[in-house]
Amino acid sequence: MQHLEFSVLIEYLPAIMDGLSMTIKISIMSIILGSIMGVGGALCRISKSFLLRSIGNIYVEWIRNTPLLIQILFIYFGLGVFFNLSPVVSSVLALSFFSGAYITEIIRSGIKSIHKGQREAALSIGMTEWQVMRLVVLPQAIKRILPPLAGQFITLIKDSSLVSVIAVTDLTYVAKNIVTITFRAFEVWLAIAAFYFILSFSLSLVVRKLEERLAESD
Amino acid sequence: MIKLENVYKNYGSLQVLKNISLEVAQGEVVVVIGPSGSGKSTLLRTINGLETIEGGQVLINDFSVHASQENLHKARQLTGMVFQQFNLFNNKNVMENVTIGPINVQKKSKAEAAEIALALLEKVGLPEKAQVYPSKLSGGQQQRVAIARALAMHPQVMLFDEPTSALDPEMISEVLEVMKGLAFDGMTMVVVTHEMGFAREVADRVVFMDDGIILEEASPAEFFSNPKHERTKLFLSRILNH
Repeated sequence: MQHLEFSVLIEYLPAIMDGLSMTIKISIMSIILGSIMGVGGALCRISKSFLLRSIGNIYVEWIRNTPLLIQILFIYFGLGVFFNLSPVVSSVLALSFFSGAYITEIIRSGIKSIHKGQREAALSIGMTEWQVMRLVVLPQAIKRILPPLAGQFITLIKDSSLVSVIAVTDLTYVAKNIVTITFRAFEVWLAIAAFYFILSFSLSLVVRKLEERLAESD
Repeated sequence: MIKLENVYKNYGSLQVLKNISLEVAQGEVVVVIGPSGSGKSTLLRTINGLETIEGGQVLINDFSVHASQENLHKARQLTGMVFQQFNLFNNKNVMENVTIGPINVQKKSKAEAAEIALALLEKVGLPEKAQVYPSKLSGGQQQRVAIARALAMHPQVMLFDEPTSALDPEMISEVLEVMKGLAFDGMTMVVVTHEMGFAREVADRVVFMDDGIILEEASPAEFFSNPKHERTKLFLSRILNH
């Protein structure tokens, strides 16, 4: 049995930091883009138009019933045949499409969970559909959407480790390289896990604070 | 002022309103009663277009409510509605609930809307609750705020959909008192309710519905002392002698 040698972490800290910043960058971009797609998807799914609803349904079902890894490979190598997408762009696209489908469902069910009396009361004082959505339904839905949304963001951070397969130099890719060079698998993977934990856990703390502030009217 | 002409409404294959015609004059208080499932709430909700109709038309001041989106919008500004479940906006405090319509629909300034709101909260007896959220109010208080919210739009007609059915017995009178006050001020009102005392005391006319049709229409004195239909007699005996 060999001794544990955590000093390799110090030695490779700059590389790990680069990987960490890549993971953060990809995650943030995917969270933003995925949220936009989620809002769009939810609006499609609750739309009165059959066409939009169908597009929303196909999108959600297609993404939810195929593995993320395949989606990443498809976008990078598959679409790569037609478009010249860099690994980073492919990763952000894949993660956004993926989380967007789940966010679609989270937002849709949040909106649906608001009692229809709220909508009717707003309509009865003469509000337009858009005002009802903006002033009454969405502000209430957001409180119910936030906890599962935070969960989805955390999932996204963790799932972003998969993009290492298309040679994006994220935390996981860097770690694989360090292990290949140093053979210090235990120390390196433990440290990398800790980095993912810190990222995910701080995000949930931020969301918890936000939830407390929104709870004012309960 | 309000005129329903041969209105039909279906839920799938179920006919809820069958050839309903009804007129309500300005300043009149019409109370609609009937067993549950008779279509009385549905009738009320066709007046401000919360329910679509399959036939006939609903006129408010001679324009047809269901004819266009524009008319629908106009109808909702001319009418105020009070719901069984209050339906106050949970994310807004009392003041915001009452001012949200004037500010966003009528484009009044915040100050002007607040002035209107305070006067109305005074009228329903809750001026001290302006900054409180609905979840902190009793049912009776919520319903009074809901009345103030509807009144803030200066409606010409008030529609009440079983406004006291979800309330504890001791809170019913505080809401009925506010409604009586409105009626005596000359507000045109259509009230769906099971409160026979209110009907007797305040209504100009009582409408009895059963199974999607208007079975009987009379002054309260006539209606309660001398009902014409067997069905009405049965209903009244059940509801008055329990």
